[in-house]
Amino acid sequence: MSAVATRVGAVTDVDTPLPSRRLRPIRRRTFVLSVLAYGIALLFLLPYLEMIVTALRPHDQLLAANLLPTHFSFSNFTTIWSTGFGGNLLESLAIAGGATGVVLLVALPAAYYSARHRFRGRSLFLLLVLATQMLQPAAMLVGIQREFSNFGLPATLSLILVNAGFNLAFAVWILNAYISSIPVELEEAAMIDGTSRVGALARVTVPLAAPGIVTALIFTFIAAWNEFIVALTLSLGLPTNHQPLTVAINNYIGEYSVDWGHLFAGAVIATIPVIVLFAVIEGRVVGGLTAGSIK
Amino acid sequence: MRRRLSGVRVAVLATTLAAVAVGAGSATATTASKASGAVTLKLVVADYGTGPSNTSSKYWQGIVKAFEKANPSIKVNVTTISWTNFDSQVQTMVQNHNYPDITEGDYFSAYAQQGLLYPAKQVLSNPSNLLPVFASQGTYNGVQYGMPFTTSSRTLFYDKKLFAQAGIKAAPTTWAAVKADAAKIKATGKIGFGLPLGPEEAQAESLLWFLGAGGNYMSGGKWTINSPANITAFNFLKGLVSAGDTEPNPGTVDRTPLWEKFAAGDVGMINGSPALIPIIQAAHVLTSSQWASVPIAGEHGPLSDTLGVCDNVAAFKANGHLAQIKRFLDFAYQNQYQLQFDREYDLLPATVSAANALKSDPTFGSFIQALPHAVQYPSNTAWAQVKTDIQNTIGTAVTGSPASVLGNLQQTAQKLGG
Amino acid sequence: MQSLRPLLWIGPAIALIAVVVLWPVVVLVHASFQNIASDGFVVGGAGFTNYNDLWHEPALRGVVVRTVIWVVAVVVVTLLVSLALAQLFNQRLPFRRLARTALIAPWAASVMMTALIFRWALDPYSGAVNIILHALGLVKMGSNTADWLGRPTWALIWMIGVAIFVSLPFTTYALLAGLQSIPDDVYEAARVDGSGTWRTYRLITLPLLRPAILVATTINVINVFNSFPIIWEMTRGGPGYETSTTTTFMFILKQAFIGESAAMSVVNFLLVILVVLLFLRATRWREQVTR
Repeated sequence: MSAVATRVGAVTDVDTPLPSRRLRPIRRRTFVLSVLAYGIALLFLLPYLEMIVTALRPHDQLLAANLLPTHFSFSNFTTIWSTGFGGNLLESLAIAGGATGVVLLVALPAAYYSARHRFRGRSLFLLLVLATQMLQPAAMLVGIQREFSNFGLPATLSLILVNAGFNLAFAVWILNAYISSIPVELEEAAMIDGTSRVGALARVTVPLAAPGIVTALIFTFIAAWNEFIVALTLSLGLPTNHQPLTVAINNYIGEYSVDWGHLFAGAVIATIPVIVLFAVIEGRVVGGLTAGSIK
Repeated sequence: MRRRLSGVRVAVLATTLAAVAVGAGSATATTASKASGAVTLKLVVADYGTGPSNTSSKYWQGIVKAFEKANPSIKVNVTTISWTNFDSQVQTMVQNHNYPDITEGDYFSAYAQQGLLYPAKQVLSNPSNLLPVFASQGTYNGVQYGMPFTTSSRTLFYDKKLFAQAGIKAAPTTWAAVKADAAKIKATGKIGFGLPLGPEEAQAESLLWFLGAGGNYMSGGKWTINSPANITAFNFLKGLVSAGDTEPNPGTVDRTPLWEKFAAGDVGMINGSPALIPIIQAAHVLTSSQWASVPIAGEHGPLSDTLGVCDNVAAFKANGHLAQIKRFLDFAYQNQYQLQFDREYDLLPATVSAANALKSDPTFGSFIQALPHAVQYPSNTAWAQVKTDIQNTIGTAVTGSPASVLGNLQQTAQKLGG
Repeated sequence: MQSLRPLLWIGPAIALIAVVVLWPVVVLVHASFQNIASDGFVVGGAGFTNYNDLWHEPALRGVVVRTVIWVVAVVVVTLLVSLALAQLFNQRLPFRRLARTALIAPWAASVMMTALIFRWALDPYSGAVNIILHALGLVKMGSNTADWLGRPTWALIWMIGVAIFVSLPFTTYALLAGLQSIPDDVYEAARVDGSGTWRTYRLITLPLLRPAILVATTINVINVFNSFPIIWEMTRGGPGYETSTTTTFMFILKQAFIGESAAMSVVNFLLVILVVLLFLRATRWREQVTR
């Protein structure tokens, strides 16, 4: 199942500049393609720009039928904290961070071992991982709810476990492929030098697999950060200001009004960290997916 | 009067002491293990606010602060849930065995049936102060479990400015007039009649029209959801909708946004409760002389009995905090907090003493006098489930076939019992 | 001892999967055969009553048909658009990274929040989409034509659009990864052969992209089938259940009819497994993917 992550040759671009004789037409082509690409990129950003504009609308212009308000107001961003939004942020951070930590601790050894060893039950294990990949919490919500209600765990811990469990498969899968593409000789060389297996894993494999690990972890973090349906089901025992972000934002849809201003201010605040995170590692996402830089 | 009340208090005090003793006996295991530590009550309330400035969490925090000062050994944790999510979240909490101690909002008689709740007389020193007209909804097997905390009644609100523009002289009292007036207002480019049949509160809007044709959800202990009267009501609504006299696609429109549209001067008529008043005032579009509220129009004349809705307090047994719950509820049901709630949200009180205090209030007086005639939702234990089904599907009756939509609901209700 | 050694490494993963992913399936199936009160307490066994009730649910047929339309439309259109996007964003462009980062926004943002912004922009009285369409003379503000989410067919079309929008980044990136794994010399060879652009794409790029397409499509099928936030935030599945898929229908049932909701989940579950297996079989994934 390592198709996405199959090893590759060079990560160089397919469309390398061709001989100078054909430079002019290529330039025009590049121009057209650039306009197209940036137009599409803008299209992808538009909804989020609208989100920001709405969050910045003065209260009395919220329902006005204009694309832009006459002036902007930051009051939604200052008053949102009095609704307990800070606690919601921390809760989501705890859940997403916790789930990411659990995934790292659990997926890395499993992926490493199954990539390096042909043990009995290996294919059964990989099949199990593959099968999990096909299951989503939404499909078995009633089961999750009934199981965890019997555990009596704190809601935060339940959500960490559920998010870790459902993102484990993807992490194992990616890491397995990534580690497979690292020549085993590198580790063996380290072990000849007297390093233990775990030492070789830590000093040789992990650094070389770092792009894959980062990718897997960020996938997990973002998935947990944005998770909605399980949070909506399991976090209900928590006080309002300790519910995860998605549930808190959903709660701005109230009885006598939908608090769109705070809703989108919250959405903007909740979205910035993940977009920044993605922007930082964007290059490595593709790198991670293609298990690139090892030759 | 005062003297008699205090007499009641003495008697109740005795039972309180007895109850505390009993409660202490059964609760020793849980409280003793926490040594001398304070008990924390989990209070889950619906949010009546229009935003963070008047969220119900503020109201309750105010009570809790005063209460904790007077009762240092009891802490109260407040969880506020928006109304659109209240039912599903409380139901989910209970399904998760994550029991609150006290809820305020919708009430589920099934929980009384399951033995999850304390009866009112165990957790209130003076349960007879609760408005008697609302007692039946919280009663199961002759014992009252649901305790009304706030009430409201429905009337027809209309926009005088739009009425004048459309050349209409008086508010409608019959369906025929509703239709004619809505058509005239539609001709001015506004929404004639605001008809919120989306999931938020479709069961209330529908009942108001059922009542107009002499129907109801139940009659004589039997479900009558697809009675001829109810079908008549939806046939009328279907005609209203297909003529374009309402907002588009009422089956998808919730009360919340539509009340805001009325407040913005875009809707000619809408059924509302006193809670619509602060929304009108906040919008600064209609002055107090540009709107009015009158009895709801029926098929042949105005309703004499309107829908009275109460939101209830329920006290859960699971955590064994009987004595503490009682202390808190006695505290929260004081007149000052009832009145504070009503002023904050323009709702009506749920206690006899608070209602008396507001009887001659210019805003609330007429609503309070109508309260004793209020029609209630069914008190059947299956109501919570039936209501969910009604909220989700009844709106399709104005585009599909009223007889078959109401027929399906009737079938579900009968299957569930009653 | 030796045979237990793998457990040390993969044991925690198995344990986590067992507790969080597999056991709920058992609980779910069990619940679907129980009579459960609306407060979650088991009143007794139910045999096949829950399944029988579900089968006689008047809305079920529409919900299932809609789910099929939903999955097929979203997955197919997403794939076609992503193929084009991947090709475009694989070109050497100035500040390509910037453009790619923008592409990723719907992936980074929560689907639920993206759905809410679309619901807001489609508001019949003040939504940005309607303001633009009104200016173009295509709709009239506040009228039925502007009430996209109030009309089931249009609501479904818009929601399919949103689902495609949020599925594009992952799919495009998966295909980009696939494109970059195609060695340059393959293209060199094609160039020497004198193949045209389209011919090269059809005969070389597409076949080599097959593994990436397979994986992206499989994951999309699963995601879209189980998608909840888009429909929940835009229409709550209404009016009635007329824009519900099996997933939102299950969620609505869960509020008061837990046993029947569990039965819906089990059916949902079997359906998704069936669809994925059929898909994998049809595409002979084993030959493509096994190492």
